[in-house]
Amino acid sequence: MKLILSTSNIMGAGSSVRRSVGSKSNAEFVSSLRSNLDEHSSPEQTNGITNGNGAATPAKLHYKSWTKQSSDGTELHIPNPDASSSGLEEEREQYDITLKLFYLPGGSTDSASRTSQTREAIELVLKELGVPSVDLLIVSFPGIYFDEQEDCPTKISTRGPVEAEPEGIDSIIESWKAVESLREEGLVNKLGVAEFGAERLAMFLEGTTRRPMVNQINLRDCCSVPRDLLTLAKEKGVELLVHNDCSNILPRGTLRELLGPGPDGAGVLAPSSKAGDKRKSLHGEANKNGTNGEVALSGEVQPQWVVKYTAVVKNRGIVENKGYFACAELEG
Amino acid sequence: MGLLAIGTPLDWPEAKEKASHVRKWGIEQLLAIWNNAKGKERDALLWGDEIEYLVVNFDDEQKEVKLSLRQADILEALASDPELLKQGGGVPDLARGPAKGGKTAPVFHPEFGRFMLEATPGAPWGIGFKDLLAVEGDMRWRREIAKQHMEANEFPITLTTFPRLGDRKSITPYYPPSGSKLRSQFLPDEIANPHIRFPTLAANIRARRGRKVELNVPVFHDEKTAKPFKDPTVDYDLHNWPEDDDVRNGAAKDDSIYMDAMAFGMGSCCLQITFQAKNIDEGRTMYDQLSPLGPILLALTAATPIYKGFLADTDVRWNQISGAVDDRTPEELGEKPLKNDRWRIPKSRYASNSTYIAQDPRLRSEYLDPDLVVDEEHKARLIEGGMDERLATHFAHLFIRDPIVVFSEDLEELDLNKADHFENLQSTNWQHMRFKPPPVGSDIGWRVEVRPMEIQITDFENAAFSVFVVLITRAILTFNLNFYLPIPRTTENMETAHRRDAVLNDKFHFRKDPLPRRSSSRAATTNGSTSAPPSTTGTPTPSRPSTPFGPVEDEYELMTVNEIINGQDSPGGFPGLIPLVEMYLDSLNVDVETRCELAQYLALIRGRADGSLWTAARWIRHFVRGHAKYEGDSVVNEEVSYDLVKAAERVTIHEARDGFGKEMFGRTRMQRNGVVG
Repeated sequence: MKLILSTSNIMGAGSSVRRSVGSKSNAEFVSSLRSNLDEHSSPEQTNGITNGNGAATPAKLHYKSWTKQSSDGTELHIPNPDASSSGLEEEREQYDITLKLFYLPGGSTDSASRTSQTREAIELVLKELGVPSVDLLIVSFPGIYFDEQEDCPTKISTRGPVEAEPEGIDSIIESWKAVESLREEGLVNKLGVAEFGAERLAMFLEGTTRRPMVNQINLRDCCSVPRDLLTLAKEKGVELLVHNDCSNILPRGTLRELLGPGPDGAGVLAPSSKAGDKRKSLHGEANKNGTNGEVALSGEVQPQWVVKYTAVVKNRGIVENKGYFACAELEG
Repeated sequence: MGLLAIGTPLDWPEAKEKASHVRKWGIEQLLAIWNNAKGKERDALLWGDEIEYLVVNFDDEQKEVKLSLRQADILEALASDPELLKQGGGVPDLARGPAKGGKTAPVFHPEFGRFMLEATPGAPWGIGFKDLLAVEGDMRWRREIAKQHMEANEFPITLTTFPRLGDRKSITPYYPPSGSKLRSQFLPDEIANPHIRFPTLAANIRARRGRKVELNVPVFHDEKTAKPFKDPTVDYDLHNWPEDDDVRNGAAKDDSIYMDAMAFGMGSCCLQITFQAKNIDEGRTMYDQLSPLGPILLALTAATPIYKGFLADTDVRWNQISGAVDDRTPEELGEKPLKNDRWRIPKSRYASNSTYIAQDPRLRSEYLDPDLVVDEEHKARLIEGGMDERLATHFAHLFIRDPIVVFSEDLEELDLNKADHFENLQSTNWQHMRFKPPPVGSDIGWRVEVRPMEIQITDFENAAFSVFVVLITRAILTFNLNFYLPIPRTTENMETAHRRDAVLNDKFHFRKDPLPRRSSSRAATTNGSTSAPPSTTGTPTPSRPSTPFGPVEDEYELMTVNEIINGQDSPGGFPGLIPLVEMYLDSLNVDVETRCELAQYLALIRGRADGSLWTAARWIRHFVRGHAKYEGDSVVNEEVSYDLVKAAERVTIHEARDGFGKEMFGRTRMQRNGVVG
């Protein structure tokens, strides 16, 4: 089964802002996802108090009451999509809408999968925002990290756990063709890549007919861009944009914890069958407390992709809507 | 400096007799504007900065620096420069070229002091990054143009005050003090812009007060400064005017630098920023949310450690301007029982602001100023005319003042298509924030002016602070931040900001948690005031749960400027304005060059806040105290003054790239040109 997680609009949501101000990792995404799951899985939500008020972990609502399974049983939306979501306030032209799609380590990489992953991600966002197309789609491939020239000690911490070798250039080029076809359909106006150094960008440009309009690099602390990259980007008309995302935005362990039976989990997943003895001993209790005694989903989760979307009111510079969707396969 | 209508100004007390007349018509004009513009919607963010200069005249042979009183000649030269006019620039009061697409040349304005000049961009800025990066270059361009229209030995310097203003000699051409308008024993009437509005303003403020304005700035006690310090420049034997008795009646206080004229305050240079809001509601929110930041911005930009040739024990100009235009009578000041006047007034007309105006559920009544004075009659009229109570209270508060300059020609007929009477009161309420209705007959929207900042020596710094404030406003609106603080705490903070090195040593009341709560209802997916649907009633739709409020005192605490700017380390601590701005920037598509330029600006502000970079006040004080001709007695003599202004000129030109002044800029500036690639 496919799991589709969402944060809904995180602008104005204080807790996720708080946890991610000044941080150099995927804190914004994970904390906003966590608070959205908390909010929906906690029974107290109706009276406006979301925090646990005693020593005991508050019981979670059964996941089926706040998630939505597709009629064929192949998809589970976590939480249930918000039907009342009104989309954007103003006309489409007022906005600059950017998507960044992170293909995650361990996800399917074949061209057909990438096509459907990309289409699915775009369509979820279009629906959420109530718009027919987006302005820019940046795709981020697993295991690729841009390195600044100068010594930049804080940089390494922004990467997140390294769970993959860099994806090969041939695979990247194949995926790019898939993404390009969606641009031709008119769902996206411009395409970009992330974290490409000069060498990778040069190889990539050689292998593609449609060049990316944007290369997004992580440059937060040390403003030093290698000259060869600057020159190449300028020559080929690739705009260099800055980001502060962590490439491995949703490690498996994090997702398991978010959905699992533990005190911080949403109680969607049952304890892992592969877990060690210690974890097993807690099994019965967790299952009872965590899911009101009913069985949660079991199996192994494999994150596939995460998409971040941002809608900015162009002439006022206000970020009106920002959020994330994530997709994982539940196997076994 | 507001309107420059030509006419016959009334002397005091004739002007006083017309005061209620002007106020009544001003209220009617305000209602007309309000009714006309309250539904104005979806205006873009446009903004502008104002840079004020002192024009100084160097005599390098004699090692003398004087203030040049050639403002009128310089403006005349600017207004008749065909090249400048062709590019859309000029002097709006005299001549200006047609606005044009693309890059419009800057425009220049007269200011109160005849030694001052003001320059603004030729066209407003937007929020696009191209615009944000163009600000610094435009400021540099303005200074170059100004310089080109001056004598070779003149220079437009951006110090807040001239170090020896009021020494009875450092002006050129020379005029003797003790004129009929200012009646200052230190300054001539010719120090003020000759336009009739300005001397009238000064004269009527003095007349309304019943004595000269009185400024006593605490002197900086250095090793050899006398204790008590008695200002040695005060002349107790002058008998030209009745006001000369002021000093014999104790106007000059011990341990203080004494000054007696409007020009000592209004002759200061400030950095002001004005924003256009999307609509009236957003404007009201911006006004409220930026207000608690005012004292912090003041402390961060501190640049005023010298008055009238003495080192002061304060670092900023604010209170001196406040005192320099304080027209309150002894009754209003509480020195005498109320007899002829209507009320006691706690603040000068130039002061930190006293109202919150947003219709915001986060605004608790406990935040409001308990000492607010309001003209109930005007308030009732505004409410009757359809204005909500909160905004009516704000304007009825501004309208407790008398108009100072009244032109008899304007009192013949009420013209509701003009704003002159409204502006008369509005533009002589110099609070640290100003809420500005759209000008009549224009397409301009509701605006908010941010007024506390001190001018900085370089264009780089002025651009940095301007852009920082712009980014803060965007972060406030994007994250729906809440900086509400009881107004009396902001008033206290404004005082705190005056202390020497307040930015390093003092603490300011500040709200602990500016972040909105995540609502537990689905309404969390809408975004507070920024995405509230436009409503005809002007009431934003709140999306927050009605959580019970705790005590107001628990909402704020004392913080250092560093904590406010850079954040507290403790978990759940104040996130910091710079991290919030960076988080905002991380949500946008910013190109490499822009991000690195902005990083320079943010690094400057971060450094000023954490003390690794010096404020101009600290640097100037250090320069004076380290000067070979300084005798440790607080006196900034002519030679030190010359070298100091020369030093400021050097910093203006080189921006510490030559290493001089690096304490203010650090590595950020010196490495600047090698940033990208």
